[in-house]
Amino acid sequence: MSHFKKIPRTVVILVVLAAFGLTRAPFEDRLVRDLIDTKMVVPPPGMTVLDQMGQSALMATLGGLRPLVASFMSLRGYENFSEKNWDELHQTYQVITALEPREEFHWVNAIWHLGINATANMELDTKIPEFERKRRFFNYAQQAIEFADKGIDQIPDSVEIRKQVAEVYREKLKDWSSAARTYGEIKDLDGAPQYAERFHGYFLAKVPGREREAYDYLKGLYDKGADQHLPTLIYEVRRLEEILKIPYPERIPEADLNRNRARPQKPKSKPLPGGVIIP
Amino acid sequence: MSNCAVEVKNMTKVFSKGLKKSDYVVAVDNLSFEIETGEVYGLIGPNGSGKSTTMKVALGLMAPSRGSVKVFGFDSGDIRARNEIGFLPENPYFYKHLTGAETLKFCGKLCGFRGGELKDRIAELLELVELEGAAKRRLGGYSKGMLQRIGLAQALIQRPRLVILDEPTAGVDPLGSRQIRDLILKLKEDGITVFLCSHLLEQVQEVCDRVGIIFEGRMRREGPLAELIQINEQTSMTFAGAKPQLLAKVRDLIEAESDATIVEEGHPKTTLERLFISLSKSEKEEEERK
Amino acid sequence: MSQSPPSVFEPASKPVSPFSFGRVMVIASSSVTQLVRMKTFYFLLAFAAIIVVLMSLNPPTTPAGVLSTIKRISFGTMDIFAWLFAIVSTALLIPKDIEDRTLYTILSKPVRRIEYLIGKLLGVLFVIAVSLAVMYGICALALFSRESLYIAEELGAMQAGAQYSAEEVEAQIALIQQQGLRLELGIAVLASFLKSAVVASVTIFLSTFASSSLFSIIISVLIFIIGHAHTMATSFWLYQTDNSLLVELILKCVKIFIPNYQLYSFSHGIIQGEAVSYSLVWQMTGLTGVYLVVFIFLSLLVFIDKEF
Repeated sequence: MSHFKKIPRTVVILVVLAAFGLTRAPFEDRLVRDLIDTKMVVPPPGMTVLDQMGQSALMATLGGLRPLVASFMSLRGYENFSEKNWDELHQTYQVITALEPREEFHWVNAIWHLGINATANMELDTKIPEFERKRRFFNYAQQAIEFADKGIDQIPDSVEIRKQVAEVYREKLKDWSSAARTYGEIKDLDGAPQYAERFHGYFLAKVPGREREAYDYLKGLYDKGADQHLPTLIYEVRRLEEILKIPYPERIPEADLNRNRARPQKPKSKPLPGGVIIP
Repeated sequence: MSNCAVEVKNMTKVFSKGLKKSDYVVAVDNLSFEIETGEVYGLIGPNGSGKSTTMKVALGLMAPSRGSVKVFGFDSGDIRARNEIGFLPENPYFYKHLTGAETLKFCGKLCGFRGGELKDRIAELLELVELEGAAKRRLGGYSKGMLQRIGLAQALIQRPRLVILDEPTAGVDPLGSRQIRDLILKLKEDGITVFLCSHLLEQVQEVCDRVGIIFEGRMRREGPLAELIQINEQTSMTFAGAKPQLLAKVRDLIEAESDATIVEEGHPKTTLERLFISLSKSEKEEEERK
Repeated sequence: MSQSPPSVFEPASKPVSPFSFGRVMVIASSSVTQLVRMKTFYFLLAFAAIIVVLMSLNPPTTPAGVLSTIKRISFGTMDIFAWLFAIVSTALLIPKDIEDRTLYTILSKPVRRIEYLIGKLLGVLFVIAVSLAVMYGICALALFSRESLYIAEELGAMQAGAQYSAEEVEAQIALIQQQGLRLELGIAVLASFLKSAVVASVTIFLSTFASSSLFSIIISVLIFIIGHAHTMATSFWLYQTDNSLLVELILKCVKIFIPNYQLYSFSHGIIQGEAVSYSLVWQMTGLTGVYLVVFIFLSLLVFIDKEF
């Protein structure tokens, strides 16, 4: 006891702290890895994102306030959207997605804002010279695609991110090949909508030079049974039969064209409470 | 085993003033004294003489730099020593958000009392210090005297064998002061050892069996009070109803002796405290009569 | 002064045990009373106000998105309240006892210093636990009411005209339910509690040698912030080869001396609807226990020699 008293207390405290630190470090490192693997903890943002972050967002990362700051920044993103301040919106969403990369909803919003809203604005805003509008249109669409790529890196199984970027390819860029590729990815994922497998074929059918591939695929779907005998599918198969000059005996029967006509058409967008439209 | 309640042996307490080893101040220097079980011991000295330090060491709030302090044979840092001590600090320091009864309950529970036994003990002590009426009031609204009384009650909660009082009457009115003095005498009557620290000499004089005078950390004089204050070569006599003729005869008798002189002559004076108490008593009686 | 029975002074002090959990609980419950009477629970009103404001917001998104926003903001606020409360209340309690010299009264009773420290910590933890439970209750109520409302609206909208199959309706409802009130959210509250417990124990340690409450609060907040940079520090450590010696030294010190608060961010995953790994939660609880023991021990090393 008397020996213990002679050792300065500060030294004893530092030794205990260091010993504790060294003992727990390997355990904690493994725990962090496990928590990241089970998606319970978000990995730290990469260095490039750290550079882009404002001070408050960086402090949020350090202070464990990520979700809270991300939520408030989403509101800022909405403000950017209302003000049609697309460049600012792009930056805001870079920070938001860096703060909460596992939140699918942020990625989808970023793609929707840039790929659909910003590009639509560029189509309509006559105050901007046409050349500039076109350039910006493609820039924003490209930014949306970049968000989609990063989002898919973070959430590889995301149907929603793919659905959103497919819409950009389909509605804005008329990039049928990419749209077909994206729907092709969607159809193989869990929770994919039924239409994804048909859409894959429909957009493939629009790509010049891939008609044969599209025909084989869509015919395969048609052959699965009456459930698949939808008007668009039949129409596309017929169109491709014409293009590919498929011999008549191999073509699908005439009567099928009207088969599903009685079935009511779904609206393109689903109306939701509060008048919110899912794009 | 000795009959000592408190045994201070060559106790030195040094406080460092800065980071340097040479930068220190000696608060208590090689102090030794003993307090016998059942006696009232007064440690007196001016502010900064080392009284409080000695007391804090006895309570285990500080460790001696050298030497030892034992309470009923236990080292003063030992929890068993503190179990025997009831302490009344100079300014009772309690949680102001607690009521009087809650304060006693808190202290009682810390000393191991529970349930009915604790309830009875609280009632008993509240009655003793005459605070039954204020038991449910928060200490934030107590006067200095009331705080002192609740402090005394908490000091006695675990039925300690030793009571340490630090300046028990500082800032208390004469009536309250008298009550505390009576209580000390009552404690003594019941065999409880009292260790009192004060710079109010008159107060010590009235209750203490033995006194130690401490100055600049060292014990200067120590012994039974009567021995310390008596002037052996002088004698005083007080007469009642003596006529001037009788007093003249006495004066003549003394003057006849070659080696005796009258040092002082006059009417004995009451203390201001006694005057205050008698006045307030008669005032009270007057009011009651009305 | 009234005449009292001699039993009042009868020396009969009770035998004293070397360590008493009863005494710890007495100190803990007195700390709880102290915190309650300091009106600390008023911050729950502020939390309730935040939830009310949050409920009145209508962000431009889907029902699941709204629920997710409510959940993330309310749980985030809950977390901040918990750790901030842990720091401030712990930093105030011990220095206040020293300043008011209430500590004199307590330590002059048969109480061990370790009992005092543990009691104070338990008191703060109890108040945090109750506060978190109340906040969770408020939040659960808000989430549940919004969720039920949305489900009813969605069902109404989807079933009108019989355009959607039963599976589609079910999938849509499941989407809302995933962001709504789920049992797993309780684990997110536990994460906040565990984090606050470590924060409180670190602050107790700081307040045993700090010169003021403000010092303890500032240092504790700093440690809290730095404690979230562990993984970043590790990746620097492992992947940056051009670090100067000083940077490397600082990073190593952070890893060794500062608690890893980032681990406790596992609540974020749960709030986002990820599946809970119970084995990891158990490990986190165990680790928290070790943190508490170590920091109480360190506090005692300082506090045991402290002179008042």
